[in-house]
Amino acid sequence: MDLEDDTTVLTTLRSFNTFISRPDNPQRLSEPSTGSGALQSQYKRSIELLEAAEKVHSKSRYLQLDQEKKQMELSHKRARFELEKVASDSARDLEHEVDRNQGLLGIIKKLEEREMEANKNLSEQVEANRALRRNLEGMSKKLEERDTNLNTANQTISSLKDELRELNQKIQNQDSTISTQTLEKEELQEQLDLQRRKYQEVSQQCQTLQAAQSSCSEHIIKIKELERRLALQEQDMAIVKTVKSEVARVPDMEKELKHLRDENAFLRESRENCSLLKEEAEGLRKKLERMEKTKEDLVNMELEKERLAEKLHAWENLGQSTGLNIRKPEDLSREVIQIQQREIALKEQNYRLNSRVRTVERSLPELRAELHQQGCKTLEEQKRREAQDALVRRLQKRVLLLTKDEQRASTFDGHIFMFQERDGMRAILESYDSELASTEYSPQLSKRLREAEEVLQRTQNHNTEMEASIRAFTCSADQSTGGDWGAQNTTTDAAAGMVELELESLKKQQAATADGSSLATKEEMSILRQKIEDLETERQRLEEQKNTLEMRLERHNLKGGYDPTKTRVVHFKMNPTSVAKQQRQQEVEGLQEEVARLRELVRSLQDGGTGAHSHQDSSLYNPSLSLSLPPSKEVLDLRKQMECSELRNQRLKEVFQKKIQEFRTVCYVLTGYQIDITTENQYRLTSVYAEHMNDSLLFKKVPALLHFA
Amino acid sequence: MTSTLKGITLKGSAELVAEFFSFGINSILYQRGIYPPETFTRVTQYNMSLQLTTDAKLKTYLTSVVSQLKEWLFDCTVQKLVLVITCLETNEVLERWQFDIECDKSAPDGRASREKSVKTIQDEIRSVIRQITATVTFLPLLETPCAFDLLVYTDKDLVVPEKWEESGPQIIDQSEEVRLRSFTTSIHKVNSMVAYKRTDSV
Repeated sequence: MDLEDDTTVLTTLRSFNTFISRPDNPQRLSEPSTGSGALQSQYKRSIELLEAAEKVHSKSRYLQLDQEKKQMELSHKRARFELEKVASDSARDLEHEVDRNQGLLGIIKKLEEREMEANKNLSEQVEANRALRRNLEGMSKKLEERDTNLNTANQTISSLKDELRELNQKIQNQDSTISTQTLEKEELQEQLDLQRRKYQEVSQQCQTLQAAQSSCSEHIIKIKELERRLALQEQDMAIVKTVKSEVARVPDMEKELKHLRDENAFLRESRENCSLLKEEAEGLRKKLERMEKTKEDLVNMELEKERLAEKLHAWENLGQSTGLNIRKPEDLSREVIQIQQREIALKEQNYRLNSRVRTVERSLPELRAELHQQGCKTLEEQKRREAQDALVRRLQKRVLLLTKDEQRASTFDGHIFMFQERDGMRAILESYDSELASTEYSPQLSKRLREAEEVLQRTQNHNTEMEASIRAFTCSADQSTGGDWGAQNTTTDAAAGMVELELESLKKQQAATADGSSLATKEEMSILRQKIEDLETERQRLEEQKNTLEMRLERHNLKGGYDPTKTRVVHFKMNPTSVAKQQRQQEVEGLQEEVARLRELVRSLQDGGTGAHSHQDSSLYNPSLSLSLPPSKEVLDLRKQMECSELRNQRLKEVFQKKIQEFRTVCYVLTGYQIDITTENQYRLTSVYAEHMNDSLLFKKVPALLHFA
Repeated sequence: MTSTLKGITLKGSAELVAEFFSFGINSILYQRGIYPPETFTRVTQYNMSLQLTTDAKLKTYLTSVVSQLKEWLFDCTVQKLVLVITCLETNEVLERWQFDIECDKSAPDGRASREKSVKTIQDEIRSVIRQITATVTFLPLLETPCAFDLLVYTDKDLVVPEKWEESGPQIIDQSEEVRLRSFTTSIHKVNSMVAYKRTDSV
């Protein structure tokens, strides 16, 4: 009843308003009353008040009633409204119902239709059922049939199985039969092998048979041939018989033949006679012809004869003119024979000469040997001569002149040569002498050698000359064999004479020289020999000296010496040694510089002593020092060690820190107290349960005691 | 190489000898420790393994010297090749490896070949290099840092080429000499020997 509450409020409000609007009147009333009497007025006033109260009361009753009336009206209105509302609702419901009714009716209709349909369906279904039943029956029938079929099939299967079994049995049987058959087969094979062997044998036999057959056939052929021969023989026999019969006729025939032969011979003779006659006739004819020819020839001959007679005359005249007794051809032939004889004699002479030439040629080598010997002798003589000459030269110079005169005077080749030789030897001896005086050996030795060589050359030349002359002789001898006889003889004779002359002269010369120098030579020779021996010893000494010098030279060579006139030593400019030396020089310079600098540094350090001065210096020189002095290995090692130890320390620190933190937290959690070290020897104990952060106990450590601060 | 198996020409001979010098010098430098052994590499030549330098500077030096030497060998104007080992501290000559070269100047045309196969020559060269290697056993140890130089003894009339200069013979004072084997190509004959400074202890 909210509305009613409101209304009450409203009423009170109105009453209050009314009440407020009223007070003016009573006050106005009271004021005039005050003038007349107080009790009356008071009564009046109370009556008035009562009246007013009654009025108010009635008024409020009126108002209340009015309000009730209004409330009633309102409720009435509300009721009516509600009724209307209900009526409309019901009307609506009715409509709804009607609608629903209609819907339901429709539904019913539909349902009816459905029922109808269902009925129809039912009937259909029934029919279908029936049909199905029928089908089912059919099916069952079929099934039965099938069952029967199946049974039959089973039966057949069983029968088949039986058959199978039978068949298996059969198979087994067959297997057994097969095995038996294989056995048989093997047997058969064995038999076959046997048969084969037999066959082979048979074939062999066959071959033998064939061979036999072939031989047989050959035999047959032979037989045939023999038969044929037999036949032939028979034929022959027949022929023989016939021949025999004919032979019987032979004597007659022979007689006849003889007769015939005689006849034949006669005929032949006659024929020969005929031919002979013919030939005779021919020969006669030819004779006649020849005769004719000879006649002609005769005429010719006569003509020729005349001519020849003329010639003969001429001949005779010739004979007379020449003085020779050539009257006849015999004379001529005699003359010819004589000439031939003379020729033969000449030839003989020729041969003899040839043989002589040959003997001369043969004797030539001997002569040459002799010549050689003579040459040797002459050489010896020459030597003697030289010795003699040397002596003579040393003793008398006049003799030399004389010999020179002689030399000039002599014209013979050999002599000249000899003197030349002698001169050469003299020169050698002179050289020897000069050598003895001086001390220089090698050039003189070489000189001597040269001279000796010259002498040798000269002798050789002489030899060659001699040989050449000999050759010339032989050549001339050779030529003389083929040339004119007289001239030949003379030339050979001349050559021989020359040779002989030469030889003689040589001999003479030898004799002369031997005679001339036989006395003096021996002494000189001994002297000369001694000299030669001395020289030989000296030569040996010199040779030794030479060898030692050569050895020294060799050693010098080995050590690297050289002949500066022939050799030049060169090397590459930029060779490793010079490069290395340069580098070393540079290095040394650098080091020296550094040493100087360091020295300066040391001095400055010593001078400066301590303090800022040295500090400055060190700061000045340190960079250069560190640059110039690379850290030594020791320093490096130490540094490394230090790093290592630092690293270890670091790790230990970390581990310690971690552990102590852990320990502190554990202490704090377990005991509820936290201990901190604020400063040295001062510890703060803080409880977990402290009310304030600053609430703590401070301890101070005094040796051996812990004071509570 | 121009020489065939049949014979050898002057040119081929010069090349062979120059090649021998190249390998011989390398061997000596290796054996005597003039250059550190790690700067050498192993090669096979003359049917034996030899050491060749890999040092670029040394290589260029050797090739230039050997090529020049080849020319001189071809002209038959070279008499000796000497490898001098000098101590750098005292500038003292410690070793001299001397190769005397005898040229047969009768074969100057360079075409006529002699009857000596390359194989036999190389066999001879091999024995020489073997001997060089073997000399380490008796040569005194080189204790100080050393450097080497190559001297060439040539004919006097030869024109000194550019980059070359005349030098002294670098003779060792108080030396011992050892003759080594020789070989010949039938045109060039190379006699080798080594001279070294006599040590007081011996």
